[in-house]
Amino acid sequence: MKFAIALFSAPHAPSSRRALRFAEAALASGHEIVRLFFYQDAVHNASNAAVPPQDELNLPAEWGVFVRHHRLDAVVCIAAALRRGVLNEEEARRYGRPSANLGEPWDLSGLGQLHEAAQMADRLVCFGGP
Amino acid sequence: MATLHLLSHSPFGDSRFASCLALLGRNDALLLTGDAVHALRAGSTPWESVQQLPEGIAVFALDEDLAARGIAPSGRVQPVNYPGFVELCCRYEKVNSWL
Repeated sequence: MKFAIALFSAPHAPSSRRALRFAEAALASGHEIVRLFFYQDAVHNASNAAVPPQDELNLPAEWGVFVRHHRLDAVVCIAAALRRGVLNEEEARRYGRPSANLGEPWDLSGLGQLHEAAQMADRLVCFGGP
Repeated sequence: MATLHLLSHSPFGDSRFASCLALLGRNDALLLTGDAVHALRAGSTPWESVQQLPEGIAVFALDEDLAARGIAPSGRVQPVNYPGFVELCCRYEKVNSWL
């Protein structure tokens, strides 16, 4: 079965962790993830600048490892990211910001990518809220 | 077409839970995660509503969230782990998250 997974919540929300555990279980069960889409506050999951307390889960780091390891298509909504200061090199340069905090394995792109993922997948599963 | 409804908000904080129950189709299912598992506190109003759902509606709850809140699943509630969660998403034709 082909899954598209959309995440709407910040890294410190339990739903971000739930989404990751679900994604891991989906692949472990032999399913395919056609795309991960990070929207709204979930764009912070793709930031490489977050420093969570050492005794807490580092979810942005865990997502990065997961996406890289499985070579997944992980798209971050560009409009949601820019307004929250989550920028790659190109956008930091374009808007004259002093640094970038988003790199590989993430892609900044538009909401159309979520729509396309929903068309490609057998199931769209959304995670957000608490 | 049966839908799996995914809830994570506490039933005591807002009206999502009540709205969801009102919209359930005959063969839909509920999967309670996070604070939504508080709906299974025996004797509470949401728990009464769950007990009164029609037979055809299956009720699932994520086991780690039950354990974290010290709630023992009873009656019609079926605990699931993450592989079970994935399997439910395959079993039902649509997954509707109450974000």
